[in-house]
Amino acid sequence: MSDNRIEGYARALFEIARAEGSLDEVEDELFRLARTLESNDALRNALTDEKIPVARRQGIVEDLLGGKVTGTSVQLVSMVVGSGRGRDLPAIIDKLVKRASSAKQLEVAQVRSAVALTADQQTRLAAALANATGKEVNLKVVVDPSVIGGIVATVGDTVIDGSIRTRLDNVKSRL
Amino acid sequence: MSLFSILAADPAETHHWLFPETAEIIYGGIASVLVIGALVKFAGPQFTKFLNARTERIQKELDASANDLSAAQTDADGIRQALGDIAGERARLLAEANTQAAVVLADGRARLTVEIAELEARATADIKTAAARGSDELRAEIGRVAAIAVDAVLPTVLDGATQQTLVENFISKVGASR
Repeated sequence: MSDNRIEGYARALFEIARAEGSLDEVEDELFRLARTLESNDALRNALTDEKIPVARRQGIVEDLLGGKVTGTSVQLVSMVVGSGRGRDLPAIIDKLVKRASSAKQLEVAQVRSAVALTADQQTRLAAALANATGKEVNLKVVVDPSVIGGIVATVGDTVIDGSIRTRLDNVKSRL
Repeated sequence: MSLFSILAADPAETHHWLFPETAEIIYGGIASVLVIGALVKFAGPQFTKFLNARTERIQKELDASANDLSAAQTDADGIRQALGDIAGERARLLAEANTQAAVVLADGRARLTVEIAELEARATADIKTAAARGSDELRAEIGRVAAIAVDAVLPTVLDGATQQTLVENFISKVGASR
């Protein structure tokens, strides 16, 4: 899918979520969904397999997200999957998040943590990242067990890696 | 009867029994002179000629012998010279062979020295390579085993408090990094 088409879908989702007045929730929910799709091959294949009828794929989306996220998020994801763009869903969502952050004069800060962060920790981490990068950030936290311990924060092109996984990889390389 | 008694003159005889009578001596002497003269006159030239021919023949034989001796000496000189040449050639060949053998020996020693040095260098390099490979393999194996052990053990070791500590340390570190 071309960047223009991804950008078009992202803009559409952004406008719908903003019109529904649930932009913050939608971008946050979809961001977590995108990370889940990236790490779950079975789910990604189920949503992108063209041998599975569109209605069935949309049913999977509703079964997966129904009751866990806002209705707007479910409908937007169902719309993308129904359009046969399930394969590009993570990229579309990333564009949506970036657009939403830009609208708020914020930079997306993707944070991967081995454990869930408390609201206080997220607030302090956002402030720390803003202090470190000089930009106000829109914090997106993903719980990623592969990190093992610590946090990996990505703000634009800047990666701040304090994960145990990376330290272990460095030790392995030295060994 | 002794010899002296036999030789002694008999006083009864007119002359000594051992010597002829005077006339016999005279006639005998004349006859002898005539015979000798005849011999000198008639047989002398023949005898002289015979002697000259014999002398000439002997001289020829002597000359031939001298020539043969000279030829034999020449041949002997040639043989001796040839023997000398053979000895010289033998000595030259031996000297040349010795020289060539010395060169071949020196070349062989030099080549062997170089080959031994190359073999030693190659062996040393092989040993170093093998040692390095062994060390690398051992290090890689240690790393692999350590990684497996860490991957298996670490998640169970990192309890909630430790995880929170890591998160707080990260926040503090990032907040102080500007």
